[in-house]
Amino acid sequence: MTSAAETISSLDRRFGTRFVTLRKGLASQIEVVIALILRETRTRFGRNRLGYLWALIEPIVITFTFYSVLTIANRPVPSGMGLFSYIATGVLPYTLFSNTVTRVADAVSSNKSLLYYPQVRPIELVISRAALEAATFIAVFVLIMGTDAVVSQRLDLEEPLLVIVGLLCASALGTGLGLIFCALGQVSTVADRVRGPLLRPLFWISGVFFTADALPDNARDGMLWNPVLHVTEVVRAGWFSNYDANYVDLGYVLWWIGGLALVGLVLERWVRRRIDLT
Amino acid sequence: MLELRHITKIYQTSSGPNVVLRDLSLTLPARESIGVLGRNGAGKSTLLRIVGNAEAPTAGEVIHHGRVSWPIGFAGGFNGSLTGEENCRFVARIYQQDIDYVIEQTREFAEIGRYFYEPVRTYSSGMRARVAFGLSMAIDFELYLVDEITAVGDKAFRRKCRAAFLERRERAGLLMVSHDVTTLGEYCKRCIVLHDGTATIYDSIEEAAVASESQEAA
Repeated sequence: MTSAAETISSLDRRFGTRFVTLRKGLASQIEVVIALILRETRTRFGRNRLGYLWALIEPIVITFTFYSVLTIANRPVPSGMGLFSYIATGVLPYTLFSNTVTRVADAVSSNKSLLYYPQVRPIELVISRAALEAATFIAVFVLIMGTDAVVSQRLDLEEPLLVIVGLLCASALGTGLGLIFCALGQVSTVADRVRGPLLRPLFWISGVFFTADALPDNARDGMLWNPVLHVTEVVRAGWFSNYDANYVDLGYVLWWIGGLALVGLVLERWVRRRIDLT
Repeated sequence: MLELRHITKIYQTSSGPNVVLRDLSLTLPARESIGVLGRNGAGKSTLLRIVGNAEAPTAGEVIHHGRVSWPIGFAGGFNGSLTGEENCRFVARIYQQDIDYVIEQTREFAEIGRYFYEPVRTYSSGMRARVAFGLSMAIDFELYLVDEITAVGDKAFRRKCRAAFLERRERAGLLMVSHDVTTLGEYCKRCIVLHDGTATIYDSIEEAAVASESQEAA
């Protein structure tokens, strides 16, 4: 059995100095991202070790709010789904998506002073924020759904892998869109202003309160343009054994992720020279 | 060695483009201490940020071998809501240094007592300078970029900074911005004067100071 170090050194020999440079660059980039994440947990959640709990509380409060509203409104739930898990599988992926957009969009403007260190670039700020948000929400998801399973004595979780894929897609869509806002925000104040009005309606059309299967045919075709709807569908298809999500198209979501990332990264390169540190 | 090739830096302002550096080319030998003079807005801090790779030039390139520090000054780098210790921890991590060593060295150098464990926003400018300078000295750079920071603080601190830097003169160079000619004289022999977006290098601080003053008067 060869150790990891041996494998790396054999790769180094095989691919030469370029590979060594790439590997070292990547290693230091990972180091920077980890340092940024640790720092962010401190600045965002405060001095207290329990501070991180606040990150968990926010999405929990949102989920319960909608749960209460829908209980009072007495809205019908798709057959075979518990009301609470129905809401949570919609609210959590959506909130992960929209929070990631917001956090990533502000990544550079709220950490400008860190760009004094040459190894910290906009892309590291973006990755660290997106990763922290995703990790937080996956923890929240496990916590909320686990608690619900204990309370209701029922655990669906049909395909865990699909649930994770859905959450990661929510994070990736949010990161791509956030990166675009982040880059545009460096050259214009318009980007920040349109972000809210653009995102708010998304909440109502992304399948938080409905499933694609339950929509009338003519409405569904239009709604399915929205990749975030596909994300909530993926999560629900993975969670509930009796929900098939007949209209979900994971490939379509991946195209969106790739497209947003491409546009975002091109814009980031374009504005990199224009970021004003003073 | 540090080489600047045809550096131009233009900032977009609301009243149109502002050319701060214009086709500036310079070659500086390794391990030399060089001062930077120039009136306000001449581009001294901009030059340091470009050399430190914190900001990209609009055109041109910077070539250097060896590790260059970040521009050590008041403006950037520290987060006010984190303590001095936490800020040091972060910097040690991103430079892949021994974290405990860096923290200990900085704490000893800064001599700010329990404030080291308080949020940086509660610091006076002198205390900030102590931590910033101490931290940069705890990491081995081959070129230190210093922006005004040694001009603050009391005599003892300034003496200490100088002693710490003299100790590594064999290994490291310095590019130092200051309005205070005396401070520059303590560290540097040669000096750059920035004027109208270009740089002229003088062999003594006195010559540079005279040149800089005549430009200000003009």
